[in-house]
Amino acid sequence: MTLYTFIFYLLAVVIVAATALAITRRNLVHAVIYLVFSFLGTAMLFYLLGAPLLAAFEVIIYAGAIMVLFLFIVMTIKVDASEEKMFPFSQLAPTALFGLIYITIGIFVVVSAPGSYAVLETAVARPEEFGQYVLQRHWLTVEIVSLLLLIALIGVLCVGGQKQRAEIEDKR
Amino acid sequence: MAVLWTKDITLLAAVLATLMPFAAFVLIMVFTRSHQKLSAALSIFAAGVSLICALSLLVAHWNTPEPIQYSGRWLASSDIYIPFGYLLDPVSLLMLAVVAVIGFLILVYSLGYMAGDAGFSRYYALMSLFLWAMMCLAVSPTMFQLYIFWELVGLSSYFLIGFWYEKFSASQAGKKAFIMTRVGDVAMLIGILLVLLHLGNLNILEIDSPSIAARMSPNLLTLSALLIFGGIIGKSAQFPLLTWLPDAMQGPTPVSALLHSSTMVAAGVYLFERLFPFFALSPHAMTVGLAIGTISMLLASTMAIVSRDIKEIWAYSTISQLGFMLMGLDAGSFFSGVFHLTTHAAFKALLFLCAGVFIHKYATNDIFELGRKGSRRLKVPMACSIIAVGALAGLPPLSGFFSKELILAGLAGLANPLWLTAALLGVFLTAYYAFRPIFIMLFPQNSATGFDASSNSGHEAGHDRATYWLMAWPLVILAGLTLVLGFLQDPLQIFLAGQYAFSEMPVESHYAWLPYVASMLAIGGAGLAWMEFGRPGAGRVGFVERIPVLFQLFSERWYLDHLYRYLLKRVVDKGLSHIFAQNDNKVIDGSIDGISHGTVEGGRIIAFLNTGMIQYRLMMIFVVMVLLSLYFFF
Amino acid sequence: MIVPFSHVLFLAGILFLMGIFCAVTRRNLFMIVLGVEIMLNAASIVFVGAALRWYDLEGQAFALLVLAVAATEVSVGLAMIVYAYRRTGSVDPGAFDLLK
Repeated sequence: MTLYTFIFYLLAVVIVAATALAITRRNLVHAVIYLVFSFLGTAMLFYLLGAPLLAAFEVIIYAGAIMVLFLFIVMTIKVDASEEKMFPFSQLAPTALFGLIYITIGIFVVVSAPGSYAVLETAVARPEEFGQYVLQRHWLTVEIVSLLLLIALIGVLCVGGQKQRAEIEDKR
Repeated sequence: MAVLWTKDITLLAAVLATLMPFAAFVLIMVFTRSHQKLSAALSIFAAGVSLICALSLLVAHWNTPEPIQYSGRWLASSDIYIPFGYLLDPVSLLMLAVVAVIGFLILVYSLGYMAGDAGFSRYYALMSLFLWAMMCLAVSPTMFQLYIFWELVGLSSYFLIGFWYEKFSASQAGKKAFIMTRVGDVAMLIGILLVLLHLGNLNILEIDSPSIAARMSPNLLTLSALLIFGGIIGKSAQFPLLTWLPDAMQGPTPVSALLHSSTMVAAGVYLFERLFPFFALSPHAMTVGLAIGTISMLLASTMAIVSRDIKEIWAYSTISQLGFMLMGLDAGSFFSGVFHLTTHAAFKALLFLCAGVFIHKYATNDIFELGRKGSRRLKVPMACSIIAVGALAGLPPLSGFFSKELILAGLAGLANPLWLTAALLGVFLTAYYAFRPIFIMLFPQNSATGFDASSNSGHEAGHDRATYWLMAWPLVILAGLTLVLGFLQDPLQIFLAGQYAFSEMPVESHYAWLPYVASMLAIGGAGLAWMEFGRPGAGRVGFVERIPVLFQLFSERWYLDHLYRYLLKRVVDKGLSHIFAQNDNKVIDGSIDGISHGTVEGGRIIAFLNTGMIQYRLMMIFVVMVLLSLYFFF
Repeated sequence: MIVPFSHVLFLAGILFLMGIFCAVTRRNLFMIVLGVEIMLNAASIVFVGAALRWYDLEGQAFALLVLAVAATEVSVGLAMIVYAYRRTGSVDPGAFDLLK
């Protein structure tokens, strides 16, 4: 029971709490903000688990870029939050049922696998080593991902074209 | 069969005796329905051949110590082996002879009685069917074959009782007879199955041998004996299944004479004789049989006292005498039952045939009507009736006297004097009810008692001289047999002594006074009947009729029919049928309907998944993922 | 020493379930995309934990790639939400039922 253990559990609580809050908020902006907290917690978790570069990336990209993008879109599209019917029963019930089954199976699988009882020891992957590893061994993947980003960009531009904006101005 | 059947004369005789009537039945039904005289000729010819073969077999094997058995393979499949064949031992040969003689005489009689009837050929065909079934029953070597022919006998009885099927009461009576005997047969089948389970086969000789005591426990023996006795109760119309026999009088009188007096109902008693060692192994079953025989005897006698229909009186008498036979057999005295069966067959058939002559001439069954219309003028039937009634009552020196004495002597050997007392009371009642119709018919009063009897013979009343003599000489022959059979007691006893290894000694009765007491009782009964009916100026009201309660009880057959109707309505109709109908509607139909309904509803539930909402599709992805993990990890 | 590896798996499992819950039960298109994000995050936690368990950098590399793809997918998804909103004026998934 070291300090790291304690930190891990603290972070776990934070992440789960923040996520739970995020998914139950009616106001979308609040939900996104809570999720940002969750991702910050995840970043700290990554740092604890020996991936400082990934922690930085999590903050910059996930919490910083993606969630901000979310906020932009949410605020652009003025969604009337009070209209939403929260957690309709016909969707809630089966999900809850199968969620329970999933949890049970999950616990069972994890508990019965002998390899899962190994205790994680502290280790660090230093950024320069990690960077070298990725760009040496998985350089092709990096290239493909960049291509993917390019395609996404083009797609978004096509989808979010300007022609339709006038229609919505009329509708409102 | 080891021996080619045409070479062995015994086997040939047995085959001819039993199969000729069947051939006659088939030929008549298929080919000669429209030729009445030809059908009758075929049937009588077959019966004649059977008669000759049966009598020759009887004479040829008079001294054979061992039973002769022929058996051929009928069904064989791995462990199961069902033989069929013939078992010729003294009691079966005797029965064969009885059936053949009486059958032949009655078929000749029917030429006159049934002349002009529309179903003349059908009648002869069915009578041949019956003769075949009865004879094969008599010589069956296994209980299986016996049961088959037992059922066939019941079937031909059904056909013959409902012969005039246009009459509703006749077809009702036929159904009643068949169903009531069927109830007994179910019990018998269970008993047979019990024996089969423990013995491995149904060979009668094996059932009769002492080895069966080693294979079956005493309780099991008693149980199977009682169950087989159930079949005897049904077939021989003993209490409680006795009400079908009076109703069976709806059939033509020769049918009543052949089936329901001498041969078919005697098949039950014959079965008892067949399995006598088996029954003797279980004293409880014997006691039960004794009780049932006694009850039947007394009950039927009381019913006969108040009846007005001549055939019904003789029907009750048959029930009573069969009970008497069973009493003798159950008391342990084998020969007494056999002997009484033989003598009873003769005089009861004679009584029915005489009654048939009266009915044929005067077209009424009611004894007061018959008397009024002048039945005393028909000399031959009247005289034969008097002889037969004397034998029935047990007056010496007629055959009935000898056979009754034997039974009484057997009953006297029992520890409990109750049975003998009941039997003596029965003797008195028998004489009374037997002589009552005779006196009523002999000495009619012209001021009739006003009861317009309905003629339920449905029969033509005209005949001519030729048919009269055709019907008369069988009567004469049977009367002669009645006179003579009594004196054949000793030879028959020796003949049947070789039947079973442990044949009992004739009871040297300590009661030497028994024959005298019995005769006195019989004469007393006849005298009482004379006092009440025969004497000029007699009141013509029986002593029972003076007591209205008893009269009501007896004439309603002790309310047995009412009890059966009530049971049918309550237990069968409202109980069992209701349960099964409910089961059919609610359970079977309900479950099928429920399945289809559930399928439709299930479809309706699942249909909502296809409403186009994407979140349901997402949910389906999740569900499938969980189920797949379930599948992979378990 | 930190925690047994199973605890990391449990945490990730719970997060994954919450992500599914959000995607399937909330009647809002944004929440669907948000739920997907939560699920991807949970997956990357597992990868990083496994990398530490087996001292293999492969896990971390894959978490990095997950991050990149998540970014791509969010942008395209959000663009589609905007397009759908412009077409129908609603972000309720129930309004998009042409594919019945």
